[in-house]
Order: sequence, then structure tokens, then C-alpha cells
Amino acid sequence: MKILAIEDNQALSSSIYDYLAQENYICEIAFNLFEAKEKLTFYSYDCIILDIMLPDGSGLELLQFIKRQKINASILIISAKGALDEKIQGLESGADDYLTKPFHLPELHARLRAIHRRKNLEGSHILSFNEITLNTDTFEVFVHQCAIEVTKKEFELLLYFLVNKNRVLSRQAIANHLWGDYTDNLSNVDFVYQHVKNLRKKIHQANGNDYIDTVYGLGYKFNSHAV
Amino acid sequence: MKLADKFTLWFLAIVLLITPLSMFNTFNTIRKHIDSSEIDRLKQVNDEVAQKLNQGMDPDQYARGRPISIVRWNAALPKNLVEVRKDKPTNNKTESECRITVTSFYKLNGQNFRISSYNYVLQSSLIQKSMLQSGIIKMLIIVVTVLLTGRILSRKILSPFNQTLKQIQKFNLRKKQPLSLIETNTKEFYTLNQFLKKMTDKAIMEYGLVKEFSENASHELQTPLAVLRSKLELLTETEIKSDQASLIMEMQNAIEKLSRINHSLLLLTKLENQEFESTGLISFSKHIKDILSFYEDRILMKEIQLHTEIADDIQVKINPALADILFGNLLSNAIRHNFKGGKIDIISNSHQLKIRNTGPAPIFKTEELFHRFKKSNQCNNSIGLGLSIVKQICDMHQFPIQYTFENGMHHLVVTYNTHFSSLYAVDHHKSNSIVTS
Repeated sequence: MKILAIEDNQALSSSIYDYLAQENYICEIAFNLFEAKEKLTFYSYDCIILDIMLPDGSGLELLQFIKRQKINASILIISAKGALDEKIQGLESGADDYLTKPFHLPELHARLRAIHRRKNLEGSHILSFNEITLNTDTFEVFVHQCAIEVTKKEFELLLYFLVNKNRVLSRQAIANHLWGDYTDNLSNVDFVYQHVKNLRKKIHQANGNDYIDTVYGLGYKFNSHAV
Repeated sequence: MKLADKFTLWFLAIVLLITPLSMFNTFNTIRKHIDSSEIDRLKQVNDEVAQKLNQGMDPDQYARGRPISIVRWNAALPKNLVEVRKDKPTNNKTESECRITVTSFYKLNGQNFRISSYNYVLQSSLIQKSMLQSGIIKMLIIVVTVLLTGRILSRKILSPFNQTLKQIQKFNLRKKQPLSLIETNTKEFYTLNQFLKKMTDKAIMEYGLVKEFSENASHELQTPLAVLRSKLELLTETEIKSDQASLIMEMQNAIEKLSRINHSLLLLTKLENQEFESTGLISFSKHIKDILSFYEDRILMKEIQLHTEIADDIQVKINPALADILFGNLLSNAIRHNFKGGKIDIISNSHQLKIRNTGPAPIFKTEELFHRFKKSNQCNNSIGLGLSIVKQICDMHQFPIQYTFENGMHHLVVTYNTHFSSLYAVDHHKSNSIVTS
């Protein structure tokens, strides 16, 4: 997957670059509208990560540009402003999803994958790793071709792990992914722990391997080399 | 005391003080004037009689009917050639008058004469009496007129001032509407209006700047927070030891808290700035059910018994996003400040939303928990803004909210359709109830 990240903050864009590069994506960075337009004119990308507030204009302007140039790429907006109206404005202007700063890098990655999956309909709804298979359309989980019953949250959790394999997922990142805006004011640690515990138990009961490791007190990791 | 009344009172006091003084003065002047003019006339008569005598004419013809006495004066002329005497009347007939006698001495053809004439003038007490009478009537007229016109005129004259007062009372900095004051040609009111206009316009501007600043500051914080968070996440990907991991974890927790505080403050600022329009009636029951499904797993995990009585069609006029935040915050509080295996009751009908939950007794008075950053300290994970946001949303929509703690249960009642509530509110929470609206 080829990604263009348009973000004027160098520290943040380098974080995005580092994280995505480890996933073996080709990631390029533009620091302003001008660079972004230039890159978009000469190269094609699968996904665009777009900051709304740029030094030389609004990211919404670039959305118009992308539309005019008929560039076929999934667009994920990252913005400091989380106001509802701006969210809707961005989505109406052709963006596929919207992420409010400060976001978690695994979340950014998961969103990118999700919009990419949605956009490329030829891409299957099936995501599998070794004995585990997920159907993102029907929210079904199969272990050794045998369906196991999971709740919607457990499904989302497993998908999140699979997308961010071998990454340390902090409890906050997981909570944020599972509950979004409704993580506020809740002590999520226990709830995340419960969900992870239940998921591990269910996979184990279906004779699946236990890929989920606990990383010190930090969080969890889906370890693809576990077996 | 009204300004008009004060003016009237002062004016009356001045009138009451000045009128007797001026009356006394007038009386004196008139009396003197009458007396002196009569004396002058009599003197003149005397002089003329003397002149006639001097010319050898018969003074009688001049004295015609006038009581003039001409006496030869054998003694030397007194120092004062003219003597004036006033006499009180002796008989009843002339009681109201007083006699003025002017006696002049002349030396005519080597002989001394004493010529005296007299006349009756009005007695001063009579003048005094009639002046007092007319003075009292005059004062009464003035008092009545002042009392009547004082009210009417002051209403007219003070009307720009009263209008200005009304405008200031209605003025709300948060609404950001500049004062609209009426034109006036009274200099003082004009100056006042100009000053007020300038002051309020400046206040509105400054308020806007402050709000803008806090909103911008919150936004500007988001990017550095994102940098911190992402760098820590990248750090966790590297080879770390367990003690380093715990350091990172603490940092992550702090960032999480910081970002939540920032988020909540931003929301509060937006609420204060009235940035959320309440579009129209929404189906509140649907929002309640949606939010409940979001929290379902957490309620289940905490083994909380949930009891709901939600009417099917609840229409509330509120911005849909705020409806979610309102109920979401109340529900998350009910879950968080609860025991494992506790209870939550959610009862919602066409006019009220009631959330009851078990939980430890609040340390502060329940009303104080609506204040920002006020929290029961058992729960350190909270940032203490959830209820402030709820309160702000309720205030914005004029929904009275009640928070009480009774028999180990927290009761939160939001009344969104007030006209039903009066009969309902009476039989609930008789004791220890705090109503904030």
C-alpha cells in the first residue's frame, strides 16, 4: 500500500512514517499543500492521510483538488478540531474517515486499513492469520474453519490485533478503538482486560493458539511468532 | 427612593423654606413702601402749606377737608425739622388702620410754625394676614403641581435612562449581542449611553478573544499531544525493560488524562459559546437505547443489574450530539461510581429522565459535584468534568437537574419538559433535595 501523509508537524509526520514503514508500506510525507499537490500530480497513492490545518491553506481545499483531479485514493483526515460540523464537512467533501488528534498510531493504521478495504471492493472481506479467519462483513470468527461465538466488541478487538500484529497495543489505544467517543471518564483498564481475557479464552477453547501476549503493564501484543 | 421622589422632596423643602422668607421680605417692603410714600406725601402737603403761608396766602384753602393743624411755635426749632409719629387706632371704627402723623417745623417770615398733617394707612397686621392667606394658597398650588408633574415629567425625562437600565439588565456577555440604546438629547444620558456602549462592546470583544484563545489553545495542544503519544507508542516497539515499561505506562496514562481534560474543556467552551444549535425535536428514547448499547459490555462486566423503563416516544428539543453526551456522561458516571454487582435504574418518560444507581456516598454535597474538577476522590481516573458538562447542557436548554443521595442510591433527575414536572417534583425527594436549574 502506498500512502501519502500530509502533516505539517515534522515530529508527528515522522511518527506516522516510522509506524507505517514498519508495516512495509511505502509512505511519503508532504508538509504543506503545495508539496502535497505536487506529489499528487506526479504519483498515485492508495491512501492519503490529511491534516486539515496546514501552513499554506486548509486541507479541505486539497479535498476539492483531489476531487477535481479524479484521484482515486482513500482519504483519512487527521485534525485537531473534533467539532461535529467539521467532521461532517470533511466527510462530505470526499474524505473516507476522520480521526481527531491526539490519535493512537495503531488506530490510524486500523482506520487506514478499514477505508482501504471498503474502497477496494475486490479486496475480500476475509482476513486471516494462520488458523484464525475473520469475516468483516458478517462479523464472524473462524478458528480452524469452525465458527466461534464472539461479541461485537470481541470481534473488533481481534480485528484490531490482527491489523496491528506484533505491535504493542496500550490499554488506552484498545479502549479508544472499542468505545471511541464513549471512552471518556471510564476506568478502561479493567474492561479491556476482561475483553482480552474473554477473547483469549474463546480462541483457546476452539483449539486456537494463544497469540496475545501481555507486555509488562503496558498493554497487549498479538505475537505472530508465538507458535 | 425614586430619583423623581427625591427631587420632588427637595424641591418641596426648598419651597417651604423660601416662601415664608420671601413673604416676610415682601411684607416688609410693602409696608415700608406704603408708609414712606404716605410720609412723603404728608411732608409735601406740609411743605406746600408752609409755602402758601410764606407767600401770605390762606393755607385753609389748601387744607380743604384735610386735618391740618398750623400752630405758631414759640420755642426754638427742634433739631429734626420733620417728626413722624405712628399711632395705633383709638376707636373701633378704624381698627384696621393706623394713623401716620407728620409734623414739620418751619421758620416763615421770622416766625416759627409747626405744621402737622396726618392720614390713615392700612395696618401692617392686616397686610400680613392677607399675604399669609395668599401665600398658603400659592404654596398649596405649587406643592400639588410639583407632586403631579414631578411624576409625569420625570417619567418622560428619565425614560432614556430607564430604557438604558432595562437594556443593561438584559445584557448577556455570552450572547454577544451589543447593546442597542435609544437616542437621547439629555447630555448626561447621552454620555452614559456612550460610555456603556463602549464598555459593553469592549467586553464582548475581549470575551470573544478570551474564548477564542482558550479554544485555540486547546486545539494547539492536540498536535503536541499527538506527537507525545505517537513517540511513546514507537518507544514501546523498541527493546525495553520492565522498569522502562512502567515509566512509559505512567506517561501514557498522563497523556490520556491530559487529552481527556483538553477534550472536555474544549467541549465546555463550545457549550458556553453556544456553538451547538438545538435543531429540533429528537427521539430521545432512541438516543438512550443507542448509548445503552455502547455501554452494554461494561455494565455486564461490572455485573450491574440494569433496570430500564424507557417510554417509546420521547420527544426532546436538543442537539442530537448533546443528547448523546448528556446521557452518556450520566450513564458512565452511574457505572463508574458503582459497586460490582450494583444496580442501575433508568426511568424515562415524556418529561423526565431518572437515573438511580448504587454507589458510595458522595464526600461533598451533591450540588458541588456539578462544579468543575470537583470529584469524589475514590475514583482517581475521573477528571471531574463529566457532571459540569451535563450541567452546562441542562442550563443551556433550561432543563432543571436534580442530584440527590438517599438510602445508598444516587438519584439524578433531568426534567426536559418542564410543564409536566411541577406535580411530579413534589412527591419525590422531599428531603435533602437540591434543585439546580
